[in-house]
Amino acid sequence: MLPSRPEDRSPGAAALPEDPEDLSPGTAAERTRLAWARTAIAFGAVGLAMLRGEPVAGLLVLAVTPVIWALGRYVSTKTRPETRSRRLLLVTVAVTGVAVLAAVAAVLGHGGPVRLR
Amino acid sequence: MRQASARRGGGATSSHDEHQESKPGEPGDAEPDVRFTLANERTFLAWNRTALALVVAGLGIVQLLPPFPGVPWGRHALGVPLIVLGAIVSVTAYLEWRRTQTALRRSEPIPQSVLPKILVGTITGVAALSAVVLLVSAVR
Repeated sequence: MLPSRPEDRSPGAAALPEDPEDLSPGTAAERTRLAWARTAIAFGAVGLAMLRGEPVAGLLVLAVTPVIWALGRYVSTKTRPETRSRRLLLVTVAVTGVAVLAAVAAVLGHGGPVRLR
Repeated sequence: MRQASARRGGGATSSHDEHQESKPGEPGDAEPDVRFTLANERTFLAWNRTALALVVAGLGIVQLLPPFPGVPWGRHALGVPLIVLGAIVSVTAYLEWRRTQTALRRSEPIPQSVLPKILVGTITGVAALSAVVLLVSAVR
């Protein structure tokens, strides 16, 4: 919101800023919420894909999916830097965890020719 | 190209907000324009989706592909590096998000990302390895 220049909101105004977001960062926050939604969907898709070969790992990934989705609901222009950092760290830990689960499933899992047991 | 410093606080945040969020004792470390922060966050999320895609591709190669005739290690040799790359991309994306955020706070130039290089290197390697596996499989 930019209360100091309300006249800029009218279409075709002479003093329009070159970037419409100079009026309000709202669309940037909206795009970021959508990016979080895409990430949560990707997470869910990975969970479903793992469910077939490794049901336990797949369910674990699916259980984390709503958490990622919920984190994206709270995207705001007023989020404190530490809170933002912690949320992104959580995503990193979750994605790295999925990679570790997948690596274990690939090496020890069912159907693979490599048997370490 | 507009510089981050030129856009800091412009339009979106008042200077009052900036000073509230800046760390005490660190002059010049004010919070950047929130749009840069959000763009940085979207870049981080995009890299993490890339990481997830790599993991699922690697897992798909190992679990869904039929074994290469004569090359019993073939699927693992191709799939496991992709899964490991997924983990590396995710962790590197977080480190680079922090680095970029710090640069934005200090109005410094945004550091160049190493992620494209890592991605290109590994995918080229896996592609070359697929060619080797297919050739070995054809010969045997």
